[in-house]
Amino acid sequence: MKTFSSRAAALAAAFALLVSSAGAQTGSDAALTAQLKKLFPNAASFSERTGSPAHYKAFGPGGDGDLLGLAYWTTELEPLERGFDGPIKMLVGLDPSGEITGVIVTDHREPYGYFSVDLPEWPKQFEGKSIRDAFKVGADVDAISRATITVQSASRAIRNASRKIARAHLAPPQPQAQTAGSPTAAAAAE
Amino acid sequence: MSSLARLFARCGVNALRVLLLSTVLLGVTSAQAPEDLPAGAGDAAGWNFDDEEEEAVPTLLDLASEQAVDIGLFVAFATLAMVSFLRKSVPLKYVTLVAAVLYMGVYKSQLISIVNVFGVLGGGAAAANAGLSGEEPVTAAAIGAALTSSLPPFAYSLAWYAFAIFTVVTTIVWGRVYCGRICAFGALTQLLDAVVPKRFQIEIPAALERRASYVKYGILFGAIGLYFATREIAFYRYIEPFWLFTFDATPVLWIMVGVLLVASIFVRNLYCRFLCPLGAALGLVSKATTVLPIKRWSECSQCALCEKTCEWGAIRERQILKTECVRCDDCEILYDDKERCPHWLLELKRKARAAEAPGAQLR
Repeated sequence: MKTFSSRAAALAAAFALLVSSAGAQTGSDAALTAQLKKLFPNAASFSERTGSPAHYKAFGPGGDGDLLGLAYWTTELEPLERGFDGPIKMLVGLDPSGEITGVIVTDHREPYGYFSVDLPEWPKQFEGKSIRDAFKVGADVDAISRATITVQSASRAIRNASRKIARAHLAPPQPQAQTAGSPTAAAAAE
Repeated sequence: MSSLARLFARCGVNALRVLLLSTVLLGVTSAQAPEDLPAGAGDAAGWNFDDEEEEAVPTLLDLASEQAVDIGLFVAFATLAMVSFLRKSVPLKYVTLVAAVLYMGVYKSQLISIVNVFGVLGGGAAAANAGLSGEEPVTAAAIGAALTSSLPPFAYSLAWYAFAIFTVVTTIVWGRVYCGRICAFGALTQLLDAVVPKRFQIEIPAALERRASYVKYGILFGAIGLYFATREIAFYRYIEPFWLFTFDATPVLWIMVGVLLVASIFVRNLYCRFLCPLGAALGLVSKATTVLPIKRWSECSQCALCEKTCEWGAIRERQILKTECVRCDDCEILYDDKERCPHWLLELKRKARAAEAPGAQLR
């Protein structure tokens, strides 16, 4: 009996591995470029996936010196975030000032996804959002009743992944922020 | 069948292990979180993020207090359900059913689903995969991460885990209590059954009922097979009507659920008895475990009164079929009924005979 169930589990696991590895290779470069273009419509070119944490750089017409922002997969930065059935894979664009340019939900298997993260309005609400915001569901991120776990996990993943990227790859807004930054920031917030 | 039942029993135990491991794992990963950050330009402080959840990881207590309302409501509902079950109270059972429809269904709409069965099995397969790969040293943390990879994050989903643990534990201890009073769709069809006039209802012949009850196992194993073959779960709404409480679906789904509900008027609890893959999975767990089964009298081998009373087709002669029984209390209330259950009537007769017997005066 033991051998039967362990064999069945091993067989199932082997099969699962095969299917998932086949599925992983389907995302083509063209599709990726189209998605990056959606996050940075003004970009002239994109870098390869580089750096640690890994990201794509978006460049304007000025070439390498003209950085428009960074794009990254939430699943690579926040691998432990997940909804009911595994991670919600999102490509996020972030401009150098720490504002999110867009979110694309590329892949998820959420049972409650069809009335939450699947809807176009859901990723749309993050456009222009600062990574300093709280990203609290019900406060500055729309709550969707009956999909709380899904939406909370996805929001945390966007915020924490973006902050990791910002800390690692972007200079903080202004060096003079230490002197004059906080009062103006407070004024701007009001 | 028994090997499958055992496999499922093991899955039940696995689910408990998953829960234990996930708590341990949470501690491990949260301790590692700050080190994940590369040094970068050394200007991490410059960003001045206000509430750094990634750095100052909130304690489980903080998170629990944030989710207190959610957890509290679930505990209140579960308490109501268990009080109604343990006291065998019919009025409380109907209160529970109404609460199940309103709270578990309309308000929360997060029922246990075939998707969670996929999650547990998929996690088990991933863990077996991690254990068999033999490339890196297999750590408990890696196995735990694989096991829980398809379940929600523990610390942020405490009410859901309370719900899942409650479901697994009650199934292991008593049987399909979940189906009988927690599931909102089951509660809905039971309430439907209570208001529909009896003359509408069709009594299915026992032989047909027995065969039809196997259909749900076909759906269960078919769905599991499809999941492992495609890793796709989008079809789950076509085999489970639980989306109903979100009131959000395509026309095809509305027609399907409409047909199902109309059919449920004539054949009581049609979906639960014959079609539900989750009920089938819980039934297999219950068959393999059930610590506290329903007591039977010795007279039960001859009398078939409760077999006729059982609305779930779960009693076959002297046996209670744990796979079909949802612990609805009907037969247990009957056993205690001193005017209807032959056990008590025979007992009375015995006593009366003993009193009439010539030797009785001597005592």
